[in-house]
Amino acid sequence: MGSDIFEVTVNALKLVTIFLVMVSLVPSLVWLERRGAAFIQDRLGPNRVGPLGLTQLAADAVKFIFKEEFVPAKAIKFMFYGAPVFALLPASLALCALPLGPIINIIPFEAFGQTWGPYIFSIQGYEASLGILFVLAASSLAVYPILMAGWGSGNKYSLFGALRGSSQIISYELAMGLAILGVILIFGTFNLNEMVTAQNGPLSFSAFDYSMTLSFLPNWGIFYQPIGAFLFLAAAFAESNRLPFDLPEGESELVAGFHTEYGGLKMNLFFIGEYGHMIVASALMVIFYFGGYLIPGVSPEQVTQFLSGFIDSQNMTAVLSGLIHLGAFSIKVFIFLWIFIHVRWSLPRFRYDQLMELGWKTMLPWALGNLILTAVIMAAIH
Amino acid sequence: MTAEVFLFWFLAIVTVVSALGVLFMPNPIYSAFSLIMTMIGVSALFALLGAYFLAGVQVIVYAGAVLVLFVMVMMLFDLKSEIKAFTKGTLGGVFKIGSVAVLAGLILSAIMVTTQGVAIKFQGQADFGMQPTRLLGNKLFTQYVIIFEILGALLLVVAVGAVALSRSKGGTHARRID
Amino acid sequence: MLAESISEIGLGHFLVLSMILFITGMLGVLLRKNILTVLMSIELMLNAINLSFVAYARSLNQLDGQIIVFFIMTIAAAEAGVGLALVVAVFKRFKEVNIRFFEHLKG
Repeated sequence: MGSDIFEVTVNALKLVTIFLVMVSLVPSLVWLERRGAAFIQDRLGPNRVGPLGLTQLAADAVKFIFKEEFVPAKAIKFMFYGAPVFALLPASLALCALPLGPIINIIPFEAFGQTWGPYIFSIQGYEASLGILFVLAASSLAVYPILMAGWGSGNKYSLFGALRGSSQIISYELAMGLAILGVILIFGTFNLNEMVTAQNGPLSFSAFDYSMTLSFLPNWGIFYQPIGAFLFLAAAFAESNRLPFDLPEGESELVAGFHTEYGGLKMNLFFIGEYGHMIVASALMVIFYFGGYLIPGVSPEQVTQFLSGFIDSQNMTAVLSGLIHLGAFSIKVFIFLWIFIHVRWSLPRFRYDQLMELGWKTMLPWALGNLILTAVIMAAIH
Repeated sequence: MTAEVFLFWFLAIVTVVSALGVLFMPNPIYSAFSLIMTMIGVSALFALLGAYFLAGVQVIVYAGAVLVLFVMVMMLFDLKSEIKAFTKGTLGGVFKIGSVAVLAGLILSAIMVTTQGVAIKFQGQADFGMQPTRLLGNKLFTQYVIIFEILGALLLVVAVGAVALSRSKGGTHARRID
Repeated sequence: MLAESISEIGLGHFLVLSMILFITGMLGVLLRKNILTVLMSIELMLNAINLSFVAYARSLNQLDGQIIVFFIMTIAAAEAGVGLALVVAVFKRFKEVNIRFFEHLKG
């Protein structure tokens, strides 16, 4: 965690902040989703409570909290109550391991009559050396809250929803993992920070003593792994149970799937888990294929240099540069979140057998082909 | 007491308690959830031993895939909590527990003899020369490549066999007319 | 001696922990009647073995132990696949997953 009280405090605050940001992003995403749906369907959406309907979120939260606490008679209490709490865990664990900005070097400074030694902070909850593996492991646990909810509710529809959801998640995990393997081959590392720094600078291909630089394009992963990026995006939709893959909660067949019996705050926790998955998937997409926190055309050093023209303090410059990159990262993530929302309201739902066929007979072979192609090209170049 | 020692004891208690849960829970679904806890504990122990890659793979393979299959099969079967979860026979039971205890004593004494009490300490940090994951991959695809290929063939056989077994005509459904 | 063995962790601790897990799994195999629990106990035993291999790899500073763990994991996954397929076959026939129905599988 750190060597003295300042470092420990900052690191602990980072963890708490990232979790709270994830939780509090959800209401704004719900608002965005409802307004976005209305925009796509040519209606108005919630616009009565407050400016642009923004305080509708607060009203919803109050409604959620004050709803009756309800447990079905046949429910298994332990699992029924445990599932929503557990649903929060995987997404928040994964989100804390993602690099959200560059590393901030703090030089020694004086405060409270004491010198605080040099620090190195990363804008990241904690750094796992094998970042991708950690994120995959954390998000592979996301099956269990669904299964617990389905089994604990003591309801046929819930059970069917849970079984569908879990089989869908483990099927699409394969295609997702293979798509990620292509990225690992390209960058040659498991570490998410190193991946992002490898995408710095303009796009340049080099093979067989011949190199080509396209200075107008950034050196992003998508130009090396276009098929992988598309497969990853599609698998991410399935992993986070969103339309067009939201069979686990297909309301025309299963009432509401695994959370049929949930209401109030417990339902809200499931919501936070689902949106958390969306946020993690978008952030991973940005880190793997769209340069992470890097601003296209500008390197972090240039940003720091530009800022130091205005500000004297070196520490302030470093922190400000970190925040600017955090902003760039958030903008990219929001673009992908919007894609998630846009797709939800534009595409119809798959049928279940079509979903499985797409996963096993289309995406898996394509992902395997992409992996083999990447491996062959990498072997030929080196 | 360093953080490592505290973590070891914490994880040891978690894994042992949840392993006992697998043994004693009458309902197999709770057994499965206990086993998931054990797997996660073992994976954390791997990380404590410096095997980060294996720790990740352990969670992805066991908790993320194998046990999901177990839990899904159980949910499809709709098993009730069993009243007679353990095998019958006092004599047989005593014999089984006794033989397991003898085995435990044997292993324990072997450990004690070879490590001379618990005197063997780990030396410094885990250090395998180069990046452990890279080295692991190198070894896997050079020194152990034949075993790797054989395992690939085994997995194919198992996949075919599992499909063939589970598609065999059972008694519950109407017989297919061939 | 005792205080030292609590405050310092070595190879022996991991081996004893691995043994306890192995014994628990073995008791599960011998004593439980449900096939699914028996299969899960086998997984537990394999995990205990994995733990001791990784502990030895750490103690000897050699990665070969970790590679064996890879192979054991693969075998465990394959075993779970075949075992579950067998359980499904038994359940289809007898509507119950008791270990004693396995004797009907011959022939």
